[in-house]
Amino acid sequence: MFSKAVKAVCIGCVVLILATGINSCEKPVSHTGFKIVSLSPAMTEIVFALGVAQDLVGVTTFCNYPEQAKKIYKIGDFSNPSLERIVGRKPDLVIVNLPEQMRIKRQLEKLNINIFISSPRTLDDIYDEIIEIGRILKKEQAADSLVNYMKMHISRVDKPVLNAVEGSSKKRVYIELSPKPLVTIGAPSFLNELLEMAGAENIFADLEKDYPVVPQEEVIKRNPDVIIVLHPEKITDRLGWRKITAIKNNAVYTTLNQDHLMRPGPRLVIGFKELKDIVDE
Amino acid sequence: MNRYIPIFLVFLLAIFLSIIIGPAQLNTDILQLRISRVILGIFAGGVLAFCGGILQGLFGNPLVEPYTLGSASGAALGGSVGMLIFGTISPLFAFLGALGVGFFVFTIARIEGGLLRDRLILAGVVMSFLCSSLVMIIMVMGGRELYEILYLLMGYLGVVINSTNRLMIILMIVLSGILLLYLYQYYRELDIISQGMETAAGLGIDIQKLSIIIFLTTALLIGITVSIVGAIGFVGLIVPHISKLIFGPKHLKNLPASFLLGATFLLLADTIARVITVYELPVGVVTSLVGVPFFIYLYRRQ
Repeated sequence: MFSKAVKAVCIGCVVLILATGINSCEKPVSHTGFKIVSLSPAMTEIVFALGVAQDLVGVTTFCNYPEQAKKIYKIGDFSNPSLERIVGRKPDLVIVNLPEQMRIKRQLEKLNINIFISSPRTLDDIYDEIIEIGRILKKEQAADSLVNYMKMHISRVDKPVLNAVEGSSKKRVYIELSPKPLVTIGAPSFLNELLEMAGAENIFADLEKDYPVVPQEEVIKRNPDVIIVLHPEKITDRLGWRKITAIKNNAVYTTLNQDHLMRPGPRLVIGFKELKDIVDE
Repeated sequence: MNRYIPIFLVFLLAIFLSIIIGPAQLNTDILQLRISRVILGIFAGGVLAFCGGILQGLFGNPLVEPYTLGSASGAALGGSVGMLIFGTISPLFAFLGALGVGFFVFTIARIEGGLLRDRLILAGVVMSFLCSSLVMIIMVMGGRELYEILYLLMGYLGVVINSTNRLMIILMIVLSGILLLYLYQYYRELDIISQGMETAAGLGIDIQKLSIIIFLTTALLIGITVSIVGAIGFVGLIVPHISKLIFGPKHLKNLPASFLLGATFLLLADTIARVITVYELPVGVVTSLVGVPFFIYLYRRQ
């Protein structure tokens, strides 16, 4: 008798889980009072750019742009968002960044909360995600124009110019994200794509990892013409580095804003212009 | 004494290989870089193995070493706390971490009138895990990236040397040398303690005092090492055993041999780490990859 009851409850649970599971497959669509929690600083910027910032009820402490984003309720930082704080906002949609936020994504899925996954590797991925979030938020037109605006400003240097540049050999660039250990960018990262579009060449473009850790000797051997440093540490006085072309020619750039280059959002336009200025110098 | 000759030759060979093997063409700059890496390797490998040897002698337990005692992970924990406060890993904080965790392990293993040696290892390993988790939490909360944590917990010799840290590193290596010599003078006492605590006490050795001296000094050495190259495992565990297999139980001979063999082992492991990928691999990965099978082989053969 008792075991039958248990069975019934179990089956009931399974049915319920299956039903809700099927339910959550449908993509939510914006409505009045739609509430979004964004765990991605780039997506926060995109939501602002689409003109629906009032829907944002929770962001991370990393979401520092535009200025108004700082005033939105914080649900934790980028690496450690708090599940309770997210759930407490009763969101209709949570924007999750992968692979960094895998854990929270699983937890949200268990709670049947709708999620939007942001995990761009290429510029096209970024554009696709903007169009997709625009559709969900019923801002198709705004999304279209944002993508067009970005495509217009982030475009390959004109062919004849590029050929000329290629003739005089492209500038070879090393980008350093972290000094201990040395972390740079490899082929599958949009920053690599940006560099190429700006008419330069990433010295580690042959590495099939997005953010590889590299030895000092490889950097010295590959001898970059330009070094872009995206952390505060000084690099020109390193042991063994003084003969690198970039250091000899004073082509070490340390003042670029990391958020303009590392955040797959609207401000890539500014980052790309800064890159181009360096390459054209 | 002549057993030192082949070991010294292998040591020289390891230095030679470390200097000639690498991706870039050898020129003065690359040479500088590789020599600095070799110096770091000799220092770290030597210190870890020497400390392992002396701790194994003191506690009469073949599994004791800076890692299994929890002091290496404690140093990493202290270092990462210091990193949060000052933005850089300071030897002082690493030392305090090694000391604090070591002290805690002792308190757990202590019973009236002595130490439970098995419990020492158990407590050390448990604390080591705890410290690694705490390092993770602290570093992630501090906005540090995962690879930075990984390289601190596994250790690597490709540390960037610049005008800010050059003097500090040199001073720390010199200080470590002095501390090693200071510890070495207790070789006779260690020989006697290895025979048995009672005998040693009967011969008038102040075991309590000696334990404190060795404990504090090794904590300082481990703190210094971890703050420069991270917590490299396995060198301190296996190398002293090899050294004892070759040179016997007398510390007069096997401690310097541990230093040489530790340095050789770490240099070779680092050379492998540099050759097998274009990426910078934490050398701790290689020391355990090579170390574990070698250790099993040695134990099966005995």
